[in-house]
Amino acid sequence: MRLINRVLAALLSLALIAASLLLIIEVIVDRASHRTAIVNWHTAYHWAQHNTWTAGSIRVTCGLLILAGLVLLIAELKPARVSRLAADPAGAGAEAIATAYTRRGLAAAIKTAVTAVDGVRSSAVTVKRRKVLVAVTASARDRAAARSLRDPITDAVRQRLGALKLHQTLSVSVSVTPRSR
Amino acid sequence: MHADRTNRIMLLLLALLLLAIGLDAGAASIGVYGTSAQHGHLMDNPTGRLVGAHGVWLWPAAAVAALIIALLALRWLLALLFSTDRSGDLVIHSNTGAGRTILDNGALTDAVVAEIEGYRGVNSARARLIGDPEDPELVVTAALEENADFSALRDRIETGALSHARQALGNRTLPTQLDLTITSKRARAPRVV
Repeated sequence: MRLINRVLAALLSLALIAASLLLIIEVIVDRASHRTAIVNWHTAYHWAQHNTWTAGSIRVTCGLLILAGLVLLIAELKPARVSRLAADPAGAGAEAIATAYTRRGLAAAIKTAVTAVDGVRSSAVTVKRRKVLVAVTASARDRAAARSLRDPITDAVRQRLGALKLHQTLSVSVSVTPRSR
Repeated sequence: MHADRTNRIMLLLLALLLLAIGLDAGAASIGVYGTSAQHGHLMDNPTGRLVGAHGVWLWPAAAVAALIIALLALRWLLALLFSTDRSGDLVIHSNTGAGRTILDNGALTDAVVAEIEGYRGVNSARARLIGDPEDPELVVTAALEENADFSALRDRIETGALSHARQALGNRTLPTQLDLTITSKRARAPRVV
């Protein structure tokens, strides 16, 4: 979102500069020679003098403005996705050090622990603000064998989380599916 | 960094402005302000009449306001393109007040990176000093190998490399951010510990 904001901000600042310069030029030229310089605003003025608020184009424009405003407002107010999860404060000699694991790093660490469990063929790990979601494909094809992996995988994830000493306890959700072919 | 807070505030203001214009004009369009306003021409409203009556001074005033807005927007754009949150070189004051030492920003961060990358189990590291040179913050990112002892490495980085950086700056409580990530890559060359 930060990158998108930077692009939008650059476009907005350029638009503001362009619109401001246009206004300044038009005012100066109008005062000096009573004519338009770049934009023929007489046409727009004439159009506004002969159209009412019930015009279809006005309603469509209003709808688009409301939609754009809402989308931008929601996007800007939405809390950012957690990118780092704080570790427990360190001991002596490490005061004022804010240590955290990156979300991707944490997912990679958990994936390593999960993949080390016997019977796991592949796994996908998603780390959220308070939860770890683990989706595993078992090497076995039958459901009972796949289901039996759930507990050892959960233990492995909890053990790994414990070793990382995170500040916040994350809940663990594991789903195991048997190998399809 | 890159005016991120300003960007967010300005985009929020833009969103509110778009909503306000859309809702206001939409309300006029569906007759919320009365039938006469709904069927009146776009310029036939108090704002339009005000602009028409005071155009002699209003447009030059608008041009001056536009000039100020253009300058502020230009400053914003320059901040977006060229600003950085990195500290410059650091001034270390002596306890006796007899002199001062200038510590090159890169020299410190390079030393921190070199020390951390020397630890077995660390794949790579990055460091930078951000904020006011008088009150900087050290931000370090270390990529740990997936089979490393994460907790032990964390302790080692905190009490080793970061502690040494603090000693070098003469600031035992230098605010420090340590981001640890885990990678499946192996370090390029064997490390000597």
